[in-house]
Amino acid sequence: MSQATLAKPWLAYYPPGTPAEIDAPPVRNAAELVSASARLYGDRTAYTVVMPNGMYGDLSFSEIDRMSDAFAVYLREVAGLSVGDRVALQAPNSLPVPVVAFGVFKAGCVLVNVNPLYTAEEMGRQFADAEPKAIVIVDMFADKLPEAMKHFAIPNVIVTRVPEFMPSLVKGVIGLVQRHWDRTIPDIEVPHIRLPDALAAGEGRRKGGGVTVESYTAAIGGDALAALQYTGGTTGVSKGAMLTHGNIVMNMAQTMTFIEGHVKKGEEVVLTAIPTYHILAFTLNLLGFLWLGNRNILIPNPRPLANLKRAFENYRITWIVGVNTLFNGLMNEFWFAETPPRHLKASFAGGMALHGAVAERWLKMTGTHVIEGYGLTETSPVVTGNPIGKAREGSIGIPVPATEIALLDDEGRPAPAGAPGELAVRGPQVMAGYWRRPDETAKVMTPDGYFRTGDIATMDPDGYFRIVDRKKDMILVSGFNVFPNEVEDCLARHPGVQEAAVIGVPDGAAGEAVKAYIVRLDPGLTEADVKAHCKKHLAAYKGPKFVEFRSELPKSNVGKILRKDLRAELSAAPAPAAMQKVA
Amino acid sequence: MVGAFEQTLLALMMGVIMLGMGAALTPQDFKSSIKRPFGLFVGLISQYGFLPLIGFSLALLLPLSPEVKIGLIIMSCMPGGTTSNIFTYFAKGNLALSMLMTVNSTVFGVVLIPLLIVVYAAGLGISVPADNIVRTLIILLVPVLIGMALRRWNANVGALVELVGGALGIFFILFIMVSWVPRNWQFLMNTPPSVYAAVIGLGLLGFTAGYVFSILLKLHPRNAQTISMEIGIQNGPLALAIVALSFTGMQQQQIIAVPALYSLFIVINATLLTLLYRRINDRSQGKLPDSFL
Repeated sequence: MSQATLAKPWLAYYPPGTPAEIDAPPVRNAAELVSASARLYGDRTAYTVVMPNGMYGDLSFSEIDRMSDAFAVYLREVAGLSVGDRVALQAPNSLPVPVVAFGVFKAGCVLVNVNPLYTAEEMGRQFADAEPKAIVIVDMFADKLPEAMKHFAIPNVIVTRVPEFMPSLVKGVIGLVQRHWDRTIPDIEVPHIRLPDALAAGEGRRKGGGVTVESYTAAIGGDALAALQYTGGTTGVSKGAMLTHGNIVMNMAQTMTFIEGHVKKGEEVVLTAIPTYHILAFTLNLLGFLWLGNRNILIPNPRPLANLKRAFENYRITWIVGVNTLFNGLMNEFWFAETPPRHLKASFAGGMALHGAVAERWLKMTGTHVIEGYGLTETSPVVTGNPIGKAREGSIGIPVPATEIALLDDEGRPAPAGAPGELAVRGPQVMAGYWRRPDETAKVMTPDGYFRTGDIATMDPDGYFRIVDRKKDMILVSGFNVFPNEVEDCLARHPGVQEAAVIGVPDGAAGEAVKAYIVRLDPGLTEADVKAHCKKHLAAYKGPKFVEFRSELPKSNVGKILRKDLRAELSAAPAPAAMQKVA
Repeated sequence: MVGAFEQTLLALMMGVIMLGMGAALTPQDFKSSIKRPFGLFVGLISQYGFLPLIGFSLALLLPLSPEVKIGLIIMSCMPGGTTSNIFTYFAKGNLALSMLMTVNSTVFGVVLIPLLIVVYAAGLGISVPADNIVRTLIILLVPVLIGMALRRWNANVGALVELVGGALGIFFILFIMVSWVPRNWQFLMNTPPSVYAAVIGLGLLGFTAGYVFSILLKLHPRNAQTISMEIGIQNGPLALAIVALSFTGMQQQQIIAVPALYSLFIVINATLLTLLYRRINDRSQGKLPDSFL
């Protein structure tokens, strides 16, 4: 144990039966997850994709197992990939996602999740960095390939579609609508093979004999690379976090210990409305809930949120994994507010801070808890979570089993007891480093193996953690630290505010001042109302000096509000005329 | 004017449209509407209070033949049509509210429609076959129940039926425009202006009454728009079916002109209104993050 490592007072709060350490992963690698769960749950439904009009398609545990086998054989025998080759997957939530993801794992290859909404330029940069040998891309976005492949030419292009593997009549109707009504299917200019053809080719090759899928992963253990998960990380440069099979499988197991007591194996129905190309839904939903034998309801496009109505009507949703924005948005949908899901047991929020006001309202509306967890792409992702029933407001909870935490000061020394420090994590979920970026890796890893998250946290005496803020988001007003989260939470509690973001702006004598960006719920809300509200609840220096009303706030692909974009806007804007004169 | 072939086609189409409407519903929708008796009440008052009164007033004030008066009363006592749901969808209004109002008015219509028709017809000194109308309404509720059952049995079948029902609603409108209008051109030319005033006025006054009533009740503008659409757009095909199944001979042909003309003009008026509402809603829509996919 390093000198910085905190003792673990939080163990007292673990759910009964939860071990402090997890000695061995439940399976050797992520490929075995699907074969093992297929043996246990066979013909039960593992994944259901639900379209906005209620059309759906199912794949069972056995089907996923069989089809991912076929895809693994295709990759290795037909496309000629080897162990460690990267395979990109660019698709919204849909049935091809688990088939391809598990196929890639079974082939011993490395999965590279690509955001479907990326521009050709962004795709190109990611391709050039990851150098994938194959890509599975949904037809809607394939028109960006020629431009993106100028950066790196991917030799194997496999095209799939959102309604893939749905019943043929329904698939046909959706196809017609997409093609002729929505006109979202462009012509594809690069040579490609369709996913079902690739599966058929793989299946044919396997039946031909001489191929054992198991042999592909014979050498794949916990240390083998499973995925490159791209992230802006703490420094803003997009880079691939190298997640090993051990990282992913262990984090799944670590997180599930917190949830297990409230999950009946083989009976839960989890709503997967956040994208599975994001690490949160990837580890928890795609893998974790599968491992416990449950059914994922995959929503290809949750915008607008009315797209979720049929999923809630037609399925007994018992769990939701989401982000603050999703929970908040759902409660503002009248159909949800009027008939909240009756079978819901609990929800897990990650990706961004869960506002206390949202959690309270959710409990009132649905009678169930949203428990907040905390993590990063680099930690596969979960580091801490609130045990169900022992959640503490405003806290990210306690570390999951087998996780060591240190709070560090700016020089990397342990922060004084009780004082805030940069949260640093050591455990089986911490990535192997950034792909081909030893410089960036060195910036975030301490010599004794801790990953520095860039988040400032405090620990309650009994082991609950609180994120006081992102290191770089902290605002310094006349020498006082102001944490944007605290101000945003206060603003969100005003009934006229739909959402808010807070950043620091240069302000003469005070150094920095607080500026709030607000999306109004009540169009009559004024700047004076906002300031009066903050004055009532916050110390004067924390209240916003400037208030700007917006129709929307910049957000990431999971709905996390991007303060850095607001800051960038501000620094890009020309200085006010008065200041220019002085200069 | 509306021949045997057209009547059969109409009945068939009506069945599929109602099937589609049923497939869009769950028992929860009924529960939540009963949970909020205020909303239900507002809807029913507008649908079966204002509109029949408007129809009655028009029948009283305009110089119309007794057949046209019967047609007008029947038309004004109809529930909301699935067409209103389609227009609400395109206007970016509150689709669920629109569908719920359509269903509520259809279900309660079984009792209210014949009652209102008989009362108002008596007020005008004309008689109508109420029992035939009740029978038609009950028959039409059967496909709604079947639609609900289909969706429960298999969501894919439900969604397909719903899609086909909705598409048929549009097809029906086009069918009237393309096939019925040219063949009845002479009839349209001979129809007196007072009849046009009645059928167009019914829709326009319905829109206005629904909107003003909702605004007086301080409902959200989007809901006010939706309610105004719902009240203004009546179930034209249902009126056609009722007239076709409840009357015979020459009388039938004269009465049926009213729902036919109404259906024709409501499409034009509702399209204009949809464009207007759509512009308003586009401007005021609260946006979700663009990158939420």
